Amino acid sequence: MLRKMVVGLLGVLLLGTAAMAANEPVTIDFWHAMSSGHQPNLQKLATDFMAEYPYITVTLTYQGSYSALQGKINAAVAAGNLPTIAQVYENWVTPIESILYPIGPHMTMMEVGDIVDGLVPSNTYNGVLTTVPFNKSIMVLYYNADLVATPPTSWAEFFDLSKSLTADLNGDGTIERYGTAFRPAANPEQLLVYLDQAGGSILSADWSAVTINDAAGMAAIQFLGSLIPYAFVTADYMSDHMGKVAMFIDTSAGYNYNKTAATNAGYNLGVAMLPAGPATQSSMIQGTNLAVFDVPNQTQAQKDAAVLLARFLLRAENTVFWAMKSGYQPVTKSAYELQTWKDYVAANPYQQEMSAQMLLGFSQILHPNYGDMRSIIATKFDEIMRSATGALDGLNSMAEEIAPLLSE
Amino acid sequence: MRTWRERIGRAVPRGLAKPLRVLGGKLNPVAAYRRDPAFWKESGTAYLYLLPALVILAVFVFYPFFSAFGISLFKWGVLPPRPYVGLANYTYIFNDKYFWRALGHTIYYVAITVPVTLFLAILVASLLNKGLRFLSFARTSFFVAYISPIVAIAMVWRWMYNTDYGLLNYFLSLLDKLPFVHLNAIAWLNDPKYALNAVIILSIWHFVGYQAIILLAGMQNIEQQYYDAAKVDGATGFQAWRRVTIPLLTPQLFFVFIISLIGSFKVFTEINILLNGSGPLRSAETIVYYILRMSGRIDGGTQHLGRAAAASVVLFGIIFALTVFQMTVTQRKVHYQ
Repeated sequence: MLRKMVVGLLGVLLLGTAAMAANEPVTIDFWHAMSSGHQPNLQKLATDFMAEYPYITVTLTYQGSYSALQGKINAAVAAGNLPTIAQVYENWVTPIESILYPIGPHMTMMEVGDIVDGLVPSNTYNGVLTTVPFNKSIMVLYYNADLVATPPTSWAEFFDLSKSLTADLNGDGTIERYGTAFRPAANPEQLLVYLDQAGGSILSADWSAVTINDAAGMAAIQFLGSLIPYAFVTADYMSDHMGKVAMFIDTSAGYNYNKTAATNAGYNLGVAMLPAGPATQSSMIQGTNLAVFDVPNQTQAQKDAAVLLARFLLRAENTVFWAMKSGYQPVTKSAYELQTWKDYVAANPYQQEMSAQMLLGFSQILHPNYGDMRSIIATKFDEIMRSATGALDGLNSMAEEIAPLLSE
Repeated sequence: MRTWRERIGRAVPRGLAKPLRVLGGKLNPVAAYRRDPAFWKESGTAYLYLLPALVILAVFVFYPFFSAFGISLFKWGVLPPRPYVGLANYTYIFNDKYFWRALGHTIYYVAITVPVTLFLAILVASLLNKGLRFLSFARTSFFVAYISPIVAIAMVWRWMYNTDYGLLNYFLSLLDKLPFVHLNAIAWLNDPKYALNAVIILSIWHFVGYQAIILLAGMQNIEQQYYDAAKVDGATGFQAWRRVTIPLLTPQLFFVFIISLIGSFKVFTEINILLNGSGPLRSAETIVYYILRMSGRIDGGTQHLGRAAAASVVLFGIIFALTVFQMTVTQRKVHYQ
C-alpha cells in the first residue's frame, strides 16, 4: 500500500514538473494596425486569452496604418527581428511565405472546417492552411433608402435604377445626383466583384494564363462601361460624397462612416446584398489575416503560444465579440449560429445582409505578383470609368500588361 | 584668418609654382607645409569639428546612396535569392511609360513651382522690407504656412478644393455672377487636367513664406550706403530695387533656388494626402511617388526594390546634374557685398 502511495506521489510530482516545464512563462509580440477605437476590444480579447493561459503574456504593439505595418514587417524581415504574430494582408506575405509558421496543422479538423469557406483559399499556401482570418469585411451595396424603396437584385435592375436616379436636379446642365459611384483607382476590387459574378477570374486556376479578358471579363467590363453615364468616379472614400450618390458598393467595414455621412447628408442609409450577376451573387472579402513567423528570433514556445492565440481568436464567441465591437464580420461558420450573433443581427438588420453576403464571399488570389496585377487593374479600370479608353480596349490592355507578370 | 592655401599662394611667386611642383619633394611648398606641425594642428582641429557631421552624412546619406546604387543592380525582393541582373532594372524603368509620365509630371511641377514661388517670395519680401508697422506679425503669418505640418495643410486644402462645398469654387461661383463671365465649378482633385495644378497651388502657398523670410533677411543685410549712393545718382525706388537690391540679394536667391529645386523634385506627401493617391488617371504621379510604388510601400504593390533603387539613382543623377549646372553657371551671376 505504502509502495503504491509513494509511486503515486512520484507520478503526481513528475506530471506536475512536466506541466510546469511545458508552461514556462512566454511572451509573444502581436503587431497590429487596429486604431484607437478597436484597441480596447483587442486588448480585452488578449486579456481573456492571458487569463486562460496564465503563462503567456501577449504584448499588443500598434504599428500605425496598414501601410506602416507592412513597411515595418518588411524592415523586420531584413533586420531579423520579426514579432511572433502579426496582422497581414495576403499580398504582403506571399513573397515571404517560406518564413511563415503554418497555423492549420496545429488546429483540430473541426476548427479548420469551421472557417468560412471563402476565407480558406486565401489562407492556404501549397495546400497547407498557413494563416488564419482575423478582421474580415465584405463588399455590400449601400443605398439611399429614401430614394430606393427596394434595392436591386440583379445587374439589369441595378442598371435601370442607376439610370433613373441620375439627375440634374437644378437644371444647370450638370448632374447633381448620380445613380451609382466607383473608386476604381483606390478600390479595383469593385471590378473583381463584377468579374467573379460574371464567372470570370484574373488568371486560370493553375495561373498559367491570363483570363481576365475572356467572355466573362468582357461581360463584366461591358456592364461597367454601360454604367459610366450614371456613375460618379472618384478616389475618395464614398463617405465624402454621400449627398450626390444614390447607390454604391463598399466594404462592410465602412458602415459606421457611411451611416454618419448619410445622416449628415440628410437621408437614411440602407444596406443590401449585391445585385446578382449572370453567374453568382458573390462578393469580395477584404481585410487581414493572422500570420505566425517561423524565424530564428522566435522560440518554439513563442510560436506555440501564438498558434494558441490565433485559435482562441477563431472561437465562435471571440470572433462574434470582435465582429460586434469592430464592425468586421465573424470568420467561422459556427459564429453565425451563435445565439449572441443572431440576437445582434436581429437588432441590426443591416448585419443580416452583410452576414448573408459574407457566406458568398471570395478572396484574392495568392499569386506572388498579385500586388502588381492589382495596380494594373486599378489603373486601367480608372481609365475605363473616366472614359480615357474604351471598355474592351482597356480590358485587353489589362490582360497584356498582366501577362508578363506570370513569368517573372 | 587666411587659409594655408592663401598663405602658400602668397609665399610662392606665380612663375615659380609650376617648376616647384615639377621638382616636388623637398622643394614642393605644399609638401613642405604638410611637414609643418602647424598644418596638422590646424587641419586636425578642422577635421575634428567636421567629424560629427561627416559621420551623420556617411551613415544617412553616403551609405544609403551607394547601397541604393548596389541594390539597383539586383532583382531585390523581401527575401533572398537576389540575383545580379546588371542594368535590367534601368532597362525596365526606361521602358516603363509610367516612369516617363512621372518624370514629365515632376518636371512640369518643378518648372512652375520653383520660379513662381521665388517670384512671389521676392515680391512678399520686398513688401515686408518696406517697413510695415506689423512687420513681425506679417513675418510670423507668412512663416506659419511653412511650419504647419504638410499633412494638416493638405487636409485643409482638400476641403478648400472640394467641388461642391470648397472655398475656391465658392469664389468662382461669385465671379460667375458677373456679367459676361461664365465659370463652372472645377473638380480640382478629381479632374486629370487640374489635379497636379492643385498640388502646385498648395506648394507655392506652402513655400512662399519660407523663401520670403530668407530673402527678407538678405534684404535687411544690404548696407544702406548702396541705397544712399543710388539715391544720389537719381535712381527711382524701382531702379534701386532692380539695380541694388536684386544683385546684392543673389546669394540668398541662389540658395533658395537650389533648395527649392531639389525639394521640388522630391514632392510626394502633398500629392498622396491631397489626392488620396496619384490623382485621377495617375495624372499627378511624380518620380518619388513612382519610386515608393515600385518599393511596394503604397498602393499595395509588389515590392521591387531593385527597380525602385534604379529610379532613385536616376532621380539623384537629374538633381546632381542640375545642381552642378547651377553651381558652375548660375553662381557666376551671384554678387557678394
